[in-house]
Amino acid sequence: MVILATSDNEQFNVDKEVAERSVLIKNMLEGENPIALAVAFVYMKLNGSFIRHEDVGESDQSIPLPNITSPVLKKVLEYCEHHRGEPLPSGDTDNADDVRKRTTDISEWDQKFITVDQEMLFEIILAANYLDIKPLLDVGCKTVANMIKGKTPEEIRKLFNIVNDFTPEEEAQIKKENEWAEDR
Amino acid sequence: MTDLRMPPANSDLATTWAFLEEGVDHILTKLHTGVSYSKYMSLYTVAYNYCTSSRMHGQPDQQAGSGGRTGANLMGSDLYNNLIKYFVEHLKALRVNLDPLTDEALLRYYAQEWDRYTTGANYINRLFTYLNRHWVKREKDEGRKGVYLVYTLALVQWKINFFSYIQSKNEKLAGAILKLIERQRNGESVDQGLVKKVVDSFVSLGLDEQDSNKASLEVYREHLEGPFIAATEKYYKQESEAFLAENSVSEYLKKAEERLREEEDRVERFLNTNTRKLLITRCEHVLIREHAEIMQEEFQKLLDYDKDEDLQRMYSLLARIPEGLEPLRKKFEEHVKQAGLNAVSKLTAYGSAIDTLDSKAYVDALLEVHKKNQETVNRSFKGEAGFVASLDKACREFVNRNAATGTSSTKSPELLAKHADALLRKTNKLSEEGDLEEALNQVMILFKYIEDKDVFQNFYSTKLSKRLIHGVSASDEAESSMISKLKEACGFEYTNKLQRMFTDVSLSKDLTNQFKERMEQTHDASELDVAFSIMVLGTNFWPLSAPTHEYIIPREIQPTYDRFQRYYQAKHSGRKLTWLWNYSKNELRTNYLNQKYMLMTSSYQMAVLVLYNDHDTLSFEEIITATAISKEILSQVLGLLTKAKILLSDDNEQFDVNPNFKSKKIRVNLNQPIKAEVKAESADVLKTVDEDRKYVIQATIVRIMKARKTMKNQPLIQEVISQISQRFTPKIPDIKKAIDTLLEKEYIERVEGTKDTFAYVA
Repeated sequence: MVILATSDNEQFNVDKEVAERSVLIKNMLEGENPIALAVAFVYMKLNGSFIRHEDVGESDQSIPLPNITSPVLKKVLEYCEHHRGEPLPSGDTDNADDVRKRTTDISEWDQKFITVDQEMLFEIILAANYLDIKPLLDVGCKTVANMIKGKTPEEIRKLFNIVNDFTPEEEAQIKKENEWAEDR
Repeated sequence: MTDLRMPPANSDLATTWAFLEEGVDHILTKLHTGVSYSKYMSLYTVAYNYCTSSRMHGQPDQQAGSGGRTGANLMGSDLYNNLIKYFVEHLKALRVNLDPLTDEALLRYYAQEWDRYTTGANYINRLFTYLNRHWVKREKDEGRKGVYLVYTLALVQWKINFFSYIQSKNEKLAGAILKLIERQRNGESVDQGLVKKVVDSFVSLGLDEQDSNKASLEVYREHLEGPFIAATEKYYKQESEAFLAENSVSEYLKKAEERLREEEDRVERFLNTNTRKLLITRCEHVLIREHAEIMQEEFQKLLDYDKDEDLQRMYSLLARIPEGLEPLRKKFEEHVKQAGLNAVSKLTAYGSAIDTLDSKAYVDALLEVHKKNQETVNRSFKGEAGFVASLDKACREFVNRNAATGTSSTKSPELLAKHADALLRKTNKLSEEGDLEEALNQVMILFKYIEDKDVFQNFYSTKLSKRLIHGVSASDEAESSMISKLKEACGFEYTNKLQRMFTDVSLSKDLTNQFKERMEQTHDASELDVAFSIMVLGTNFWPLSAPTHEYIIPREIQPTYDRFQRYYQAKHSGRKLTWLWNYSKNELRTNYLNQKYMLMTSSYQMAVLVLYNDHDTLSFEEIITATAISKEILSQVLGLLTKAKILLSDDNEQFDVNPNFKSKKIRVNLNQPIKAEVKAESADVLKTVDEDRKYVIQATIVRIMKARKTMKNQPLIQEVISQISQRFTPKIPDIKKAIDTLLEKEYIERVEGTKDTFAYVA
């Protein structure tokens, strides 16, 4: 078990396996990997004494997540719990990127999971980015993409509450530059 | 843990970096005091916050050259540049301790710092994951050179600011490794883990510009492998020359073997495996190739004194270099050949004339040489094909041409066939079945080397016919085992006749029985006072010749003769029976003496003896008239009978029956071979061989021509030789003669307008 602490000082007890859907946490906890062992080795050699358990491996200490609030973490953990045990995406090779970009469909569970208000949606995206949970980041971004699809700039501005700060000249210029991407 | 006050999001670069630098420095220099979760998370978060902060309108990211870039700018170049600055400072500080250090102390310092630095860099790399994932990735995607993931960046800086600095002083680092290796070669024990660690750092520093995941051996090759190989060559050149100057070649073989093993081990322990091939090749060159001649010269001595271990060692060393074994194979071939020739010379030197050379002694001598050297091949040369070929070549040579054979190519096959005959006779003392089988296998070993296999075949079939006719074969099983061995070696055709001989013998047994039954049905028992058995043998399969002179059938057996003649003609009309009196034998019972004796005789002896049923004394002339046996043979027949004291004669003119004949045995064997027959036998066989060869050559030519239609003289001769050489080595004049004969008989013709092209006449 690991303890995750949010910026609003709430603590979550989470299975290590679930917490490690986050590459950030996984990297930090990695106790058995050669790098952590190398640390232990160097430490022993330099000081001639043994490493204390809590210095490297698991500990009772909580892991602070200063960029995340408890409602958001709760939501993120729900996702991690559901997807526990699935293989983590291997690195960010170009090939994997392509697959991610092409696949616009979202699984039924994820679809239901991501049906939240706009505020929460953006919070989830930010948290996924921060915690380095690629599949969740993808689900969030695809959802946003689907919201934009087929809408005019005006509609989009309205949807996301964006103030148009372009001059008419600028807007014409941009439109011209992006003509190739028009559907029709 | 010290300061945990984390700057808020959207802090400026100075505040951000101040916080991060303290953390980075902590990890690189004080990692052993540990990094708490909160420290780790706050460092990550600060770096993350900076990279995600939006400063597009404030200070555009100029450093990263945002020139023609469209879309959002990513924050990060400031952090990246600060990291570089930090690494450079850090590494320059490490150099301070460096200058007084040399050799092992230098390696220790280097390895210790390397461990610490790379471990720390790994941590830092994780803290800056966000920088790696976004800013660095973007820069690389856009093709900017010289931007690396944070860990790689740390290595690049190490290489530039630390590694190259040491190497720039006379290649001090590589030099220290080489010195340590030399000390190890000199027998000192050195810290192999230390060497390995430093060597591995050379490999890690070979960074592939294109792909940071791929290690390139460039640095290792340039800075370490090259100098290492050169030093190795120099070391072993000196050592091997000095060693050979003071020690024997045998000692050197051990030394070289050991050194090569050590070097293989060394690669395994602390060098890159890619170095193996080059290193070992160079070592083999210096340690083996350079001294190959001395070793090859020593080879004969090792063979002469049966130095198995040394031979083995020399073999495996020279096997490692190209063409190293060829001189050994040649010398070995000559050695075996000489051993074979010497063994035979010894036999012939010990008196016994070549004609009476004991076939067993001869075969045993040849086999022993073969056995000994085959063992050498298997034991010392690992049964290597090249040495097997040398052994075979040498054996073929001395088996066919030695002091006993002189220039005759037929002597060896004859002696071998004689030896096989001796083995297969009842009189042979090899009691165990297994022993006999083994002895026959030994015969086959030599048979393989015999060039004139047809000569062996003829002698063998002559001997076999004798064994069968006289019923002196040791066992049917052994006979058929030998035939199947020959069949395996030379094919069905080679043993066809031999097999037919067995068939005839068994058919004859049946025939004898049937004839006897028939006679018992048709004749009164009183008429059948002569016991009779017959062998009817196919002329083509048996190497037997009919008597050349007349023979008057004694009246005592005339009725039996007539009955069988009638019986057989009735059974197989049209077949011609030729009676081979010269191979027949008889048993006579004496009635004129107190003791009844059984006399075992030849038909000639019988013919003479039955005359004395009516006479007590006869003259030589009278006997000739009565039997029609030729003078020459008759005098030998009578010689044997007088010698056995059945007949008595003072002057070899008048022969009287001996009324006082006495013998210790009841069965008296008078049937000794006649001398003229023995001598004639060898000559006959050889004549048959010559005859057979003519036909074999002619048949082969016809077969070839039928397939090829036209052929030139020279290729035809070549083809004939290659097809026949399995059985014997045909002489070219014989082939030419055969061609002439076939031209005459119009099997082939000359192609018009050419001198040397023949065509098949259909």
